[in-house]
Amino acid sequence: MKSLLTGICILILAASAYAQKEQPLPTDLPTYGPQNPLRAPDVKTVKLDNGLTVWLVSRPGFPKVAFSISVDGGLAADPSDRPGLSELFAKVLGQGTKTRSAKQIAEEIQSAGGDLYSFSSRDRTSVTTNVLSSKMEAALGVLADVLENSSFPDSEVAVAKKNASDELRQNEAQPSFQASRALARVMFPGNPYSVVAPTQESLALMTPAELRVEYARRFRPDHAVLVAVGDFEMAKMTALIQAKLGGWKAPSTPAVAAAPKPSGAPAHSIYFVARPNSVQSTLLFAAFGPLRGDADYEATEVANAIYGGIFSSRLVLNIREDKGYTYSPSAFVQTLKSAGLVRTQADVRNAVTGASFNEISYELNRVATTDPTDEELGKAKRFLLGIEAIQLQSSQALAGELAGLWGDGLTPDEIGNYGKKVAGVSAADADAAAQKYFPASRMTIVAVGEEKVIRDSLAPFGLPIQAAP
Amino acid sequence: MKLILRATCVLAALICAGSAGAQVWKPPTLMKKLTNGLTVVVSEDHSAPTFGLCISYGIGFRLEPEGRTGFAHLFEHMMFEGTPVAPKGVFDRVIEGGGGFNNGDTRYDFTEYIESGPISTLEPILWLEADRMKTLDFSVKNLDNQRNVVEEEVRVNVLNQPYGSFEWLDLPQKAFDKYPNSHNFYGDFKDLDAARIADVQKFYEQYYSPNNAVLAVVGDVKPDEIFALIEKYFAGVHPRPTPPHPDVSEVPQTAERRGEQTDKLARIPALAIGYRMPPRTSPDAIVGAVTGDLLLNGEASILYQALVKDKQVAVSVSGGDNWPLGNAFEYDGPTLMTSFILYPSNVTENQVVMAYDQVVAELATKGPSREQVERVAAKMRSDWYDQLEIPINRASALSHAVLIEGNFDSVYDTPDRVAKVTPEQIRDFAAKYLVAKNRTVINRVPALNENGAAPSGGAQ
Repeated sequence: MKSLLTGICILILAASAYAQKEQPLPTDLPTYGPQNPLRAPDVKTVKLDNGLTVWLVSRPGFPKVAFSISVDGGLAADPSDRPGLSELFAKVLGQGTKTRSAKQIAEEIQSAGGDLYSFSSRDRTSVTTNVLSSKMEAALGVLADVLENSSFPDSEVAVAKKNASDELRQNEAQPSFQASRALARVMFPGNPYSVVAPTQESLALMTPAELRVEYARRFRPDHAVLVAVGDFEMAKMTALIQAKLGGWKAPSTPAVAAAPKPSGAPAHSIYFVARPNSVQSTLLFAAFGPLRGDADYEATEVANAIYGGIFSSRLVLNIREDKGYTYSPSAFVQTLKSAGLVRTQADVRNAVTGASFNEISYELNRVATTDPTDEELGKAKRFLLGIEAIQLQSSQALAGELAGLWGDGLTPDEIGNYGKKVAGVSAADADAAAQKYFPASRMTIVAVGEEKVIRDSLAPFGLPIQAAP
Repeated sequence: MKLILRATCVLAALICAGSAGAQVWKPPTLMKKLTNGLTVVVSEDHSAPTFGLCISYGIGFRLEPEGRTGFAHLFEHMMFEGTPVAPKGVFDRVIEGGGGFNNGDTRYDFTEYIESGPISTLEPILWLEADRMKTLDFSVKNLDNQRNVVEEEVRVNVLNQPYGSFEWLDLPQKAFDKYPNSHNFYGDFKDLDAARIADVQKFYEQYYSPNNAVLAVVGDVKPDEIFALIEKYFAGVHPRPTPPHPDVSEVPQTAERRGEQTDKLARIPALAIGYRMPPRTSPDAIVGAVTGDLLLNGEASILYQALVKDKQVAVSVSGGDNWPLGNAFEYDGPTLMTSFILYPSNVTENQVVMAYDQVVAELATKGPSREQVERVAAKMRSDWYDQLEIPINRASALSHAVLIEGNFDSVYDTPDRVAKVTPEQIRDFAAKYLVAKNRTVINRVPALNENGAAPSGGAQ
């Protein structure tokens, strides 16, 4: 075990003889029942006169309502000299309006049974809450006030700045944060997608006035969606939204522009983040992938599930269930509005850093070059269909998914269409997507851990190794 | 903790005005016991063509053997490693190939196995759950593999993480004295390394019997059909005697316990404060749950407002009763009300504790306002329903409650019991339980600050 690196340097891909054999299933095991068609939610779409997009799903019975509001503009829309402004912005949004203090907002939402969450992703800023349906009117009143009248009080900005600074320090102690931040810088040089968090320097410069400017720029009804899912009558909810938000005015100033598409793929090389005292290396492999609306998006999801996206996938069976290198390997297709990524991540003990790198590369190439078995293809497709139905049972999850579709410029029909498209993915489609996106030679690798462990373990693979920017 | 990853009763759910006009929600739920002692709970929900299933066994990390810390959780992993007729990998292939997922969780007093998927996947999953209740593939190779996986899990969640989960791993070890309540629940590596296949066999024989389990199924099912199916697959599983439940109660604490730790990975200091809670069966337990939420749940909570907003001595505050190991009722032995506080490096531990004590002292003398308690009751009702919305979570709540309490009443009446708790009861609870001599405090400070020097703040 100690000299695990000798010998693997040249025969990287041939070194692993691991491939799973499919055992027959137990003879007495009952077969699956008839497949019930999964029901797409019935989404009512409304457009208010001020341009606000409203998507509503009425689900009587369970006595709650989930609200999700999204506007264009997140971390990628921040001024270039204030990287990460959105993080502070989202922290202070909800901390005061012209007529309510932060404490009043928190207590009124608590009375309705909820919490007010606000957060910025790269492309959007969102406000959500999930309340008792008997209190939905009160909750919507607070939400409308936050959307239209937030004041970003100086005192709240000061507290949030201090806490954001400490939280950044805290995040920087976590390998997953370090890996994601480094990856964004490596994949998107010169592009606003390179920023996932503020720096101490940028935080120190941020002012309440800058937050108010962003608020005026982003929070406008004609570039916003309000999604409500839960226990309400359509007519009543529509009237309530009209009453609370019909008076919200759209400015005539230009709206926030989407981030530009990234220019050119980054190098196939290794970037490390030195993290003294690490007992594991966090390995992150990434390459550009499809956008959410691209024709091969679903085929890429299928290929990813075969490769490493589900528990019984090749990668998990290999590096976890056969070799025991890691607890939590994961592979997923990430989509931003103007860029897509295929990502693999695993935290592995220091001693198997090189061996894990080797096996991940092997599985990436295997999915790119070998046909899936019928069982693999069928399992991946049924999994994606089933999991979507399971996840969208939750009102909060459905509200969030719908807001995300709006953000990507898609319609609610996409939920039903996704199922049809997944069902239509052929072995050839999955193969083509795997060949296009998954070869190891396309990957940029970020490794977080002890510098010496990373250098010594990964040097044999012959790729340039450099400190992450 | 094996892996990475809600429903409306359209017709049958009862919604009516309960106490103080609150919304009451009780989906239809039935319970039966098979002759081999397996208890089965079924809740019908036709809002989606899916199911959620939870089978809980009455064994958690509290009662794992001495010298085998972390064993209950290691054993949980072995439940996914196959049987003589359904070898390793079959369970995952069948559930994922059917469009669902599965997982497991080990807690103080139970270990749960959960699945959710399209309803078409339910029958083979019931077959597989019954199969692994009969016997396992006691494989040395698979034990060695899962030992590695579990040790990686400990690394990723403890050894390679700032704070190392000290608020739930180290705090009980200092707060309690008896082995069952005060050992390392994730496991010392020497104990994990010492585990043998004979230990796996014995633990299975002792605790993984139908008479020590509760199976709950929620979703697009007809109760008669599902009870018949469960009878068909589980009736043939033989009952086995379960070891008597030892006395895990603690001698009452008489003095405050304080601890200091350093952390090689963290950049800012943290405090964990744990108060011993009344037994689950005490009438004080429900008051403790409300007090925990009043103090610690969300931005409107008293400690968040005082420590983070008013006095600005903390970066974040989180916690609650039995937190983070389940809801405030999912335990059957000593537990803590825990506060986990991150605080800035230029603030001292004493400043945080003094600000904390001022909040608690005021609660213990003046009590909360009626309005505060009503707001918290609404929030708790709302949060409580959240954990019942989707089938897999409702199945978990039903299974745990029946295992611990013998019935599922608390799953649906807890919000109403919460709504009856008064400000005076909370005041008296704080005066009785939230006192220094009933608590343990651990302060954890960065070993080095960003400049490589010893930290300026944090230590006393």
